[in-house]
Amino acid sequence: MHPSVTERTTRRHCPGTGPGVSVTWVEGSDPLLAVRLTAGDDHALAEVFDRLAPAAYGAALSVLGQGPAAQDVVQDVFVELWCHPDRYNPDAGSLRVFLTVLARHRAVDVARSELRRIARQERYLRLTPMEQDRSPPEEVTASEAASALRTAVSHLPDGQRRVIELAYFEGLTCREVARAVGIPEGTAKSRLRLALAKLETVLDRQLLESS
Amino acid sequence: MTPGKDVPPVLSTVLRDRVLRAARLARAEGRPFPDVVAISPAEAFSRAADALYGSLCMLSDADWRHPALRGLDVQCLVGHLIGVEYDVHRALSGDPVVAAADHVESTQPAAAGQAGRRAAQTCADWHRATGHTLALVRSTGDLDAEVAVHGLRLPLGALLIVRAFELWTHENDIRRVAGLPASVPDAPTLRLMTDLAARLLPHAASLTGLDEPTSLRLVLTGPGGGAWDVMIGEDPPGAVPIRIVADAAGFCRLAANRVTPAELDVHVTGDPGRAARVLAAASALALD
Repeated sequence: MHPSVTERTTRRHCPGTGPGVSVTWVEGSDPLLAVRLTAGDDHALAEVFDRLAPAAYGAALSVLGQGPAAQDVVQDVFVELWCHPDRYNPDAGSLRVFLTVLARHRAVDVARSELRRIARQERYLRLTPMEQDRSPPEEVTASEAASALRTAVSHLPDGQRRVIELAYFEGLTCREVARAVGIPEGTAKSRLRLALAKLETVLDRQLLESS
Repeated sequence: MTPGKDVPPVLSTVLRDRVLRAARLARAEGRPFPDVVAISPAEAFSRAADALYGSLCMLSDADWRHPALRGLDVQCLVGHLIGVEYDVHRALSGDPVVAAADHVESTQPAAAGQAGRRAAQTCADWHRATGHTLALVRSTGDLDAEVAVHGLRLPLGALLIVRAFELWTHENDIRRVAGLPASVPDAPTLRLMTDLAARLLPHAASLTGLDEPTSLRLVLTGPGGGAWDVMIGEDPPGAVPIRIVADAAGFCRLAANRVTPAELDVHVTGDPGRAARVLAAASALALD
């Protein structure tokens, strides 16, 4: 029996540590898990999940307050670790910290995206006269405003009109708009900006803000 | 919030399955990151031949006279490789005589025949022989066709990887005696070599009489590495699970019988004695 394989801990060179620098591989240690993930050892991913998913879930839950959304974040975080194991550097910190920070950032992104979606939805409702409960004079004013807005939108170039309709009347995100129209997300954003700028020149800014 | 207490066990199991399934869909298990570009076995052989040729071109006249292996100097070792190519040519032509021929004995005349020749002639003969091997492979076309040479009966594709393995091994025998640093194949070539070595481990184990049922997860790190599940012996429920983590190039040196298990940087989980026997068996793959 060879001594080197009777020990659960061996010394070896680790990539990135430079020649002549040895680190210790310890069972269950972050550096060992990192090299196993890089090699494509899915058992390592399962081990990391069993050990650290609760922490990642807790980090996401503390931001989102909703179990299902936090679970989606956990999935994103672990799939990212598996697909890009190089983004974790054992020299920079523990895997626990890496995953919980990543989960928190992802959860904040999700929360921001949700807030934007709600804001769009509310704006859409304000722009839809039939769904408002207004007095007759208010009804006339709102109807005129909505009509003016829709007329202005109808005069936009086709590409800009379509993204405005999808984003503001149908409540899609920029990414969803881009996918629906078949254009890059950046193009969708720039079309939205251009369209809004044109609408502002046509309509009274007050009208846009009040509606 | 206390991590670990917020996930109900049932939810955790469902989530675990979902996450692991999504991960495996996004990146196949067993494949290294970054994944290597797949190359053909013929390309791997060609690259190994080019690498050896490059090393031979760096040798001085004195280097060609250094004892390298089994009492052969560098020039006679290259002569041995010429003999191997000749036997492969015969095998590809369907000559049954070379099927059971001994790898060393059969090539001894070609090795001994280099004595007194100019090194450049030996080098040119070997280079021409590898070129002829590649030409025969191209004309054969079928990498799944079985070829029998030197006691091996393998699909042509696997034989070419074995040959790439041999060229790399002898290249490093030569580099060592010439005082040159060891070379490592490029990642696509090494990946073919590690994959073949992992798949042949059960055969190597049986050659050494190792038949203890063992469920091995072999994890080879670095470029050209990967992860494999290897079943050694029968597959009863009682197979002992072990995991071996080692450097990909180091494991190939072990399979080439150029390092011992004791010299290999390795991390073992499970029965260390069983792991030691598996690692020792890997050396049985070497042709020498």
